[in-house]
Amino acid sequence: MTQTAAQRYTGASVKRSEDLRILAGAGRYVDDIKLPGMLHAAFVRSPLPHGRVLAVDASAARALPGVVAVLTGADLDEMTVRGPDPLLALMGGGGPTAEYSLLATDTVRLVGDPVAVVIAESRYLAEDGGELVEVDYADLPAVASATAALDVGSTPVFANLGNNIIGPHKRSEFGDVAGTFAAADRIAEFHLDVHRHQNVPMEGRGCVASYDADSGLLTMYAATQSVHITRMGVAACLGVDPERVRVLAGDIGGSFGLKIGASREELAVAAASRALGRPVKWVEDRSENLTVSGQAREESFDVRAAVSDQGDLLGLDVSMVIDTGAYPVMGTMVPSIIEAMLPGPYKLAALGFESTAVVTNKASYIAYRGPWASETFVRERVLDLLAKELGLDPFEIRLRNVAPRTSPPAMMITGRPLSGVTTRESLGRLTQVVDVPVFRRRQAAERARGRYLGIGVATFIEAAPGPRGPEGSGGALGQESMRLRLAEDGIVMLFTGQMPHGQGHQTTLAQIAADEFGVPFEQVRVVIGDSDAVPFGLTGGSRSATMTGGVTLHGARQLKAKVLDVAALLFEASAADLEITDGQVVVRGDPDSAIGVAEVARQAASGRFGAEVDPTIEVEATFDGGEGGWSGGSHCAIVEVDVETGIVRVERYVAAEDCGALINPAVVEGQIRGGIAQGIGAVLLERSAYDQDGNYQSATFMDYLLPTATDIPRIEIEHLQTVPLDADVNFRGVGEGGMIVAPPTVVNAIEDALAPFGVRIYEQHLPPARILELIAHHGGDDVPTTWSS
Amino acid sequence: MTDITVKVNGAPRTASAEARRTLADFLRDDLDLTGTHVGCEHGVCGACTVIVDGRPVRSCLMLAVQAAGHEVTTIEGLAPDGALGPLQQAMRDSHSFQCGFCTPGFVMQATAFLGAHPNAGEQEIREALSGNICRCTGYQSIIDGVLLAAQRSKANVGSDR
Repeated sequence: MTQTAAQRYTGASVKRSEDLRILAGAGRYVDDIKLPGMLHAAFVRSPLPHGRVLAVDASAARALPGVVAVLTGADLDEMTVRGPDPLLALMGGGGPTAEYSLLATDTVRLVGDPVAVVIAESRYLAEDGGELVEVDYADLPAVASATAALDVGSTPVFANLGNNIIGPHKRSEFGDVAGTFAAADRIAEFHLDVHRHQNVPMEGRGCVASYDADSGLLTMYAATQSVHITRMGVAACLGVDPERVRVLAGDIGGSFGLKIGASREELAVAAASRALGRPVKWVEDRSENLTVSGQAREESFDVRAAVSDQGDLLGLDVSMVIDTGAYPVMGTMVPSIIEAMLPGPYKLAALGFESTAVVTNKASYIAYRGPWASETFVRERVLDLLAKELGLDPFEIRLRNVAPRTSPPAMMITGRPLSGVTTRESLGRLTQVVDVPVFRRRQAAERARGRYLGIGVATFIEAAPGPRGPEGSGGALGQESMRLRLAEDGIVMLFTGQMPHGQGHQTTLAQIAADEFGVPFEQVRVVIGDSDAVPFGLTGGSRSATMTGGVTLHGARQLKAKVLDVAALLFEASAADLEITDGQVVVRGDPDSAIGVAEVARQAASGRFGAEVDPTIEVEATFDGGEGGWSGGSHCAIVEVDVETGIVRVERYVAAEDCGALINPAVVEGQIRGGIAQGIGAVLLERSAYDQDGNYQSATFMDYLLPTATDIPRIEIEHLQTVPLDADVNFRGVGEGGMIVAPPTVVNAIEDALAPFGVRIYEQHLPPARILELIAHHGGDDVPTTWSS
Repeated sequence: MTDITVKVNGAPRTASAEARRTLADFLRDDLDLTGTHVGCEHGVCGACTVIVDGRPVRSCLMLAVQAAGHEVTTIEGLAPDGALGPLQQAMRDSHSFQCGFCTPGFVMQATAFLGAHPNAGEQEIREALSGNICRCTGYQSIIDGVLLAAQRSKANVGSDR
């Protein structure tokens, strides 16, 4: 599969250029920024999940030496323009809009809701000042669960909504739902829950805002997945043209969907810098990160499945409730993606889908790696529950239901073609690598000795970017742009709106450009993180492999053509007879003719060719995703459950993945393993827990447990030969799949291990205490599956 | 405020510190050694790990004044000329890290551990690093980097003989 003009770097595990600074301790993260005269911010936060703010007395704090200002919600309301979250504004969620201010003025809506911000000469003094701010609250009844929020009598979290329904109930049907259910041999009904958990990048949110009164420009040093979306948010909040705001970003300590746009706190810091005329830094501490930065995935599903006695999944009818928390951001956008993705790679002929989104007194539902992942959890859990009922093997029921790869491609019942999907192949690869019959014999032997092993399999597809539609395959954000320039020192500069935060784009994009343009890898520089210099872009949604990889390839091709046109004048030859190899332009077949690309750039810049030659060797390239395509794969886990302690050990984990052509296998494998680790953590350890009154219970790393090196096994990865769809660009995204499919893979394995106890699992979070409960209750007694025929 | 002198990366450094100032903040803000990262401020994540008198220490849980008169090594001290030391090089070769925020803590923890246990195997390395949290990698690449460094170190010792 030809990808680039010369495949020297693309496809190889080129060592990352980022690692030279990162490993030397020379990375530059936002907390490393130090500006002259810089002040520090600390937020005063609500201890209540829901309450009225009666009075804020900041006089003692203002009198503290070192405190420069205390700004309340009312102060910031006067200094800023109210508006929705910038990502919400860009993507649109539909439905009613909650009205609220940047910091709380009259109402606090979750534990940790910011009420005031103290600006001081140091972070220590800012926190001292915060201790002195007196806030009088009156308790309001907390809306601490989706069930409570669905009650029309619950106290409205937002007065303007009148109730707590932010995404009103709606229903869609694809195919003949009623007919499919009427004709089915059996109908099963389940209730499935996905618990609240969260991103937890090792670096939390933070920024340094620096306003220059003379120029009226605000510079924001940000930790963001998109400098441009952050700029839009800051400009809108400050009520200025975007050209008045410059956003800079350096190294970013992870995000996984958390750091898109600008949070309320970051906007408050920008406003404070403008008001005070000095730089202001805020970096959240871990308690703030865990409590208020955002959480994800709290969803519940009532599922009806229409099945044949032979194991055909004919139809699903799913009713979803999503708890978007307070201050809606992402939550209202998720149900429509879940609806579209629910059929997965299967021949599902009918789907009914309905959803309701509610607001509660908890942290906002935000994007977390594969935000729609619950569709895979629901579908892959349902298939295992059906397999158990019908006495089928989990591989067998999946292979039976996978849509065949045909031409033209089979269509998902929700409307997208399953072009190039290799689910059958990935399931097959797993059975080659994992000898299931041998495992079953071992499982039986160990059970006889009181050891409980289980095997689980699950499969997924991911629109990364998705198959081509009428407007390309770039998804909601459309096409990707890049500016490319050959500098006079011969460096090929790529200006990208991608804002990598661990993905290694400064390496992978340089690999593609070096090959396509024809220079050594070291001669490519990837410029990121300056809204004044880079085009619009967002690192997220597993977009960058196809979209940015593709625009790099096509842009480098355009830039090369421009260089060859100039070189043709120098050589007095036809451009068609020239090529660029290792940074040298040569006449084909005449290696002695070489002229360095730097010389070509200098000659163009000299103006010697007059008006017919552009003195700047620069191109603006765009890419719409080409033919696009799906990423996907199947994963298999073998676990052991200690039925005395409830502890689950993942003994073996195999991932068979197809993300198209690999740009850098080591980077791809890092993404896969990292996602799987988060998925294992989500099932066995992590939970953003609230008590029944809405008090947050997981505000430290002693309470919110993350997987460590002894919890995650050595993960085996099989790369599948992909089905090329596009003439040039067959790289596909791989950032989210591990986190999407690992939870059902592990849960399926645990249920298999506990089969002798009759356990059926209808939830995703399975810490030791819950495992012991499931065993004690013999599984499904409390949440039974209803079968009818 | 107390004037304290700490030997940092081989050189004595004197600065004033409040009694409550953490060693992490002292290194980062007062000495501009921002390679040490602060990840949780309660001693769980290990991102702030530095080596004090040869032993790994969470610099968010140690006060700067407690370090007075002691010897502190930070990641900047492993390869002072801006190059990479042998462990860092092995980690680069193994694609050990992604976002890089946890990196200094892992590198310092592994440096201290390998110094005391040059023959450690995979399981010992996993346990020795299980007090450091990485959210990006799933740990395998980090473990591989430490194992590679240990192997190279043994090979070098062998070839010197």
